[in-house]
Order: sequence, then C-alpha cells, then structure tokens
Amino acid sequence: MQTILDVQGIHTFIGQYHILQGVDVRVPAGSITALLGRNGAGKTTTLKSILGLTPPRQGKVILDGREVQGMRSFDIAAMGIGFVPEHRAIFRDLSVEENLKLAERAKGDYVRKRDFIFDLFPDLKRLIALPGTSLSGGQQQMLAIARALVADNNLLLIDEPSEGLAPVIIEHMMSVIRQLSAQSTVVLVEQNFLVASKLAEYYVIIEEGRSVRSGMMKDLVSDKAAIHRYLGAA
Amino acid sequence: MSTFFRKNLLPLATLIVIIIFFLAAAQGMNSQDFVITLLRGLSVGAVTFLVASGFSLIFGLLDVLNLAHGTLFMIGAYIGWTVFVRPDTFVDLLTPLALALSGFTLRDVYPLLSDRIRLSLSMKRILPWALILVSALLFILVLPRYPIAGWNLDNYAQSPVTYSYMADQGTRLPPPTVAFDQISPALAIGGLLLVSLLGSFGLSLFDQSARRSPQLTWRSYASFVILLFIGLITFIFNDALTNFLLGLNANWLFFIAVIVATLSGAGLGALMEMTLIRPLYSRPIYQLMLTIGLSAIGVQIVQAVWGRPEFIMPKPTLFNGSGASCPATNFSSWWQGNCSTILLLGGRVRVYNEILIPIIGVLVLIAVWILLQRTRLGMIIRAGVQDREMVEALGINVRRAFTIVFALGVGLATLGGALAAPSMGLSNAMGESLLLDALIALAIGGLTSYPGAALGSLLVGLIQQFMIQYGQIGISIPFTSLVLKPTPPIVPASTVLLMVIILLILPNGLLGKKE
Ligand SMILES: Nc1ncnc2c1ncn2[C@@H]1O[C@H](COP(=O)(O)OP(=O)(O)OP(=O)(O)O)[C@@H](O)[C@H]1O
Ligand SMILES: [Mg+2]
Repeated sequence: MQTILDVQGIHTFIGQYHILQGVDVRVPAGSITALLGRNGAGKTTTLKSILGLTPPRQGKVILDGREVQGMRSFDIAAMGIGFVPEHRAIFRDLSVEENLKLAERAKGDYVRKRDFIFDLFPDLKRLIALPGTSLSGGQQQMLAIARALVADNNLLLIDEPSEGLAPVIIEHMMSVIRQLSAQSTVVLVEQNFLVASKLAEYYVIIEEGRSVRSGMMKDLVSDKAAIHRYLGAA
Repeated sequence: MSTFFRKNLLPLATLIVIIIFFLAAAQGMNSQDFVITLLRGLSVGAVTFLVASGFSLIFGLLDVLNLAHGTLFMIGAYIGWTVFVRPDTFVDLLTPLALALSGFTLRDVYPLLSDRIRLSLSMKRILPWALILVSALLFILVLPRYPIAGWNLDNYAQSPVTYSYMADQGTRLPPPTVAFDQISPALAIGGLLLVSLLGSFGLSLFDQSARRSPQLTWRSYASFVILLFIGLITFIFNDALTNFLLGLNANWLFFIAVIVATLSGAGLGALMEMTLIRPLYSRPIYQLMLTIGLSAIGVQIVQAVWGRPEFIMPKPTLFNGSGASCPATNFSSWWQGNCSTILLLGGRVRVYNEILIPIIGVLVLIAVWILLQRTRLGMIIRAGVQDREMVEALGINVRRAFTIVFALGVGLATLGGALAAPSMGLSNAMGESLLLDALIALAIGGLTSYPGAALGSLLVGLIQQFMIQYGQIGISIPFTSLVLKPTPPIVPASTVLLMVIILLILPNGLLGKKE
C-alpha cells in the first residue's frame, strides 16, 4: 500500500526540552490513522513537527515521497496539508467567512468548496457573517475542520476534535471525518478511545515522546491489556 | 446593539467621563480659543496617530517593540526636508541608492549560487563575513568620493537653516555642478554595484531558510534590472531631473517630498526587518536592545548629516500666503489667497497645521482601516496578530506579511515626520517626545488595537493642547469658582496621569482585547 506520510525517528526540542525522542508514524494513503497516548505524551508535538511548526532536529518527515523536514512550515502546509489544531484556533477578529477565505491557497478556493463545506456543516452557512468570537465550542470545531477543507488538501491532521463537545456533536464530527476520509488521508489525535477506535483503521501509540506501538486498530481493540497499559482506558 | 453596549460598558463609561470633563472644563473658554485648541489637539493627535498606529501594527503582528520608531519619524522629517529644500541633493543620491539596493533584490538567485560553491566547512563559515567586510571596506572607499551636492554645517551661509530660509522666500539655488574629480564615474558606479552584490550575497548566506527557493525565472532578475536601470537613468539625466524638480511648483515638490519620505521609510523598514529584526524573533530582550541601539545610531547620523541646530521646513505655497486678503475668512477666499491662516468661529487657525494635518490623519486612518478589513493582506495581519502559527499552518507565508507590516509601520512614521516637519520644525529630539506620546496613546487605547491607537492618539493630542491652553487662561473647576492654572510640567504629566488612571480601571486600555 502507498504511504503518503512517513515519519522516521524524529526528535523534537521545545526550548531546551527534548519532547520527542524517536517517533515513527507511517500513514497509508486513504486511511484514518489515530495517534493515541496519555496527556502530554507528545501527540500534538508530533503533528506540529510534521508541519514544521516545531521543526524536528533529527529524523525524517517524508511527505508524498519528498523529505520535508527543515522546510518552512507554510511551504510544507502548501503541499496539501490541512491542519485542525487542538483548541481549534479560530481567528476571533475574523468573521466565519473570513476564517474560511483566509485558508484559500489559490484564488477562488472558497467559492469552489463552499457548497461542499455547507453540506457537511449546514450550521456554518447561517453563521457566516458572525465574528469568530461568537461561536460555541461545537461551531468552532466545525469551522476549524471546514477551514482545513477550503484548499485542496490530501492529508488532514486533526487534533482532538471531540474535546469538550456534547455527544450529539461528537457523533456529527465522527460522521464528517468518516466522509472526509473517502477523499483524503486523515491523521487523528484522539483522547477518547471509543471515538478513535470507531474511526481509525491504524493506530500509533506515543508514550513519553516515543512511538511504542503501532498496527491495525482492530487488533488493538481486542487487546484489553494493551489498552489499559498504554491509554489507561478500559 | 445592546449587547455591544453591555460588553463595552467600561470603555464607554470611561470615554463619556473624559468627554464630560472636556466639555465642563471648556466652559471657562471662549469659543475661538476652544475651536483653536480643539483643532490643535486634532493635529497633534493625527501626528501621534501616524507613529502610534505603525508601532501598534508592528507590535501586534510581530511582537516587536520597535523603540526606533520615534527616530524613524524624525528621519522621515529630514528626508522630506531634503527632497523639498534640496532636490538637487536628493537627485544626486538616487544613483548610489539604487545601486546599493540592487543586490538585495537577487535573493532568489543567491541560494543557487551558494549551492554551487564548494568549500571546506570552515571556509563556508568565514565566507559571509569576508564578503560583508570587503563590501563594507569598498563602501567606505567609494561613497565619500561620490560627488553629492549638499550643505555645509560649519558655514552658516550654506547651512540647512539658510537653505530653509531661502526656500521659504521662494529662492531656489541653481544646482551646484556635481563633478567627479576624485574617482571616475565608471569606477564609482561599478564600485557601488559591487558593494551591493557582495554585501547582499554575504547577508543571504546567513539566512538558512532562504534555501530551496523556487525555480529561477525572469522575475528573479526583474527588480535587479529595474534598479540598475534607475541607477543609470538618474545618473545620465541627473541635471535634467534636478532642473525639473527645481522648476516645479512648490506644492508638487512638497507632495513628492512627502511621498519620497513615506516610501523611503517603507524601504528602510523592510530592510530593517529582513536583516536585523528577523534573526531576533524569539529573543525579545535583544530586540529591545537592538531597536534602542538603532534609535541612538539614527540620531547620531541625523546630527552628523543635517547638524544639531533646529530648523524649519517651509510650508508648501498653498498654505504659506500672507497677502492683503489674509487671514482668509472662508475656504474660497483661502483658496484664492493661499493664506496660511483662516478665521473659523472667530479663531485664527493655521490651515496647514490645524486643518490639513488632521484631514490627512483621518484619510490615513481610513486607508489603513480598509487595508486591514477589506484585503487579504489585512486578513492575514488580523489573523496573525492572534495566532501566527495557525496562519502559517494554513500555508501562508507569514514572514512576507511581517516584512510588509514593518515596511508599512515605518512608512507611516516617516509620513508623519515629513508631514509634521513644517508645523513642528526639524530637531534631533522630535522623535523621542513623539514616541513617548505614541506609547502613552497606545497604553490608553489598547496596545494592539487599531481603533485604540486612533482613540488614544486623539485623547493625548486633545489633553496636551487643552492643558497648554489652560496654562494660559486657567481652568475653571466645574461647579466651583476655583480657577487652576496648570504649569508647563503638568502638560506631559496630564497624559501620563490619564494613562495611569485608565490602566487602573482597564488594564488593556480603552479598546484593547482581554488576553
Ligand atoms: N511550549 C512548551 N514548552 C515546554 N514544554 C512543552 C511545550 N509544549 C509542550 N510541552 C511538553 O511537551 C510534552 C508533549 O506535549 P504535547 O502537547 O505534544 O502532548 P499531547 O500528547 O498532545 O498531550 P495532550 O493530550 O495533553 O494534548 C508535554 O509534556 C508538554 O508539557
Ligand atoms: Mg495535544
């Protein structure tokens, strides 16, 4: 199977802290791969290292067959990565529409993708003129995902989409992510194991800055001992 | 709408209190004094705004406190003066300037060049420094021998003061002939070009992230060729250009001077950001030291080039008339007589200082507002102020926005300097006090809020001017018969006091966002 993203033994420092100490992630094209691990394990840092926001000091990040580590992050992102960050990072001073327009990489992206986005998130259409500040948590999450869909991205990095959301909205997010995975590859960071296990085909477990285990999600689901050991969940 | 009021109750209340204070205090003032003071306040506020808004844009997006901003304001004034009063000097400078800058436009080309150079590691370390050193030496060798018409600080008859006076009287000198007697023209031009190429190549070697740049196209060379062309054209047509500017209507020349000052500021800002500020983005303390250092160097350079004594910049003729029909009684009679003053509600108002400057201030306010609200660049800036990382993660080259914003901010400051020169006069200290006013204005209005910069500047301008006026006529305390006369030190103290009060009530200023 084709690998769209191959992270090989990256080490990342934040300040003087050695946060990632050898993380490997292989993401098969067209799949959903979940990054699992306890709080502070280094999942977010792994996503940011892929994007070059916290550039790795060692190791390789291979995207579409090209080594991208050390490149400027906007150049990496422009290769076709959509990033949905932890805590959403909606631009407060921009309207919902501006938040989406900002994500254009080619002129007209927004107009072209608008209908597709509003099909996924009908709510956003209604909110289009509102400032980013006035959205609820669920609406912000929708906007954060929508923003990653404006440009033609074939890889989506989604960080904890279910965090702080009501169960109904989580259901909605899950169906959206499933729909999206038909067209793009998804790397999903998810604390909620139930959500992750329902969505992802593959998983990588990160513990204290190292990737310690990876494989097919269906194998992990049946291995209760491993789940308990690595994730502390039942 | 009602939620808007509820959310902004505190700033609104504060503002209302301030307005009431003004109105109450103005009771003791006759209407002509009131109008004049109000307009003067607007004028000072407008100039403060030009400095404060740029400072705040830069701080908002880049997190850089550019303490050189006041000095850049001052440099804008001196550049404006030079173009207006000594266009011949300005024209002489164009060629060396275009040549010196030309190399920096080849940034896309250098990485490919440096990849070709095969050197040992230690040589690779030394190379940039060696290039810069050679470039600097060559510069010191060539530039003083390049003939540039100027003034003579030691000789009163040829000092900026005298040239200013003569220009004000409408006398413009025949251009002193520029002669190449110490160096041949070809050598001078070639030398400066070499200085630029070596220096910019050397600097580019420091910037590791400049690698992996796109394929070279004609665009990579276009600006270089254009600058080279400008350099040669201005060299060949030096006399013609000088005569053209000298023969020009003083209003147009003034307009050109302001534009040149603004553009030079923008260029200077872009250069500053790319070479000096960029390596220090994650080190705020060093940025402070750097900008303070630059500020001191800037003052020294201005003292060395234009001298210490203060001098005035003549007003454009449109605002300089004093004929029989002056002061004008209405705008049509002003238009006919070009009077420097006009009577408004019985008060004698200086048209340039108290009407033109506030109008330009408002126009700039609107223009930048449109830029921020209606353009993609503005969107990037507003988003970047909040979360640079996320903007970058969208695939947007934030660094380019950084350079543009720095250029814009400094350009606004130099625009302010050039505009204020005819009303404030030129002095080495004009930047310091203005930077201080701008900082107070920003603290009052909100450090990174653009409307806040406008509101804060307005308040600072008004309070200063009202305090000065009260110093002369006394301030009658509302509802009592007491009359207070603020002494001169009260004037700066009053704005600082207002800042302290507002910061105590609203830690983020009137329109600042809560963090
Ligand atoms: N700016 C920073 N400075 C110092 N340490 C940091 C910084 N950012 C993250 N860390 C540390 O790096 C480690 C990994 O953080 P990261 O955010 O990647 O974890 P995570 O797996 O995403 O956790 P969470 O589930 O809480 O989001 C944590 O221990 C965190 O404390
Ligand atoms: Mg995280």
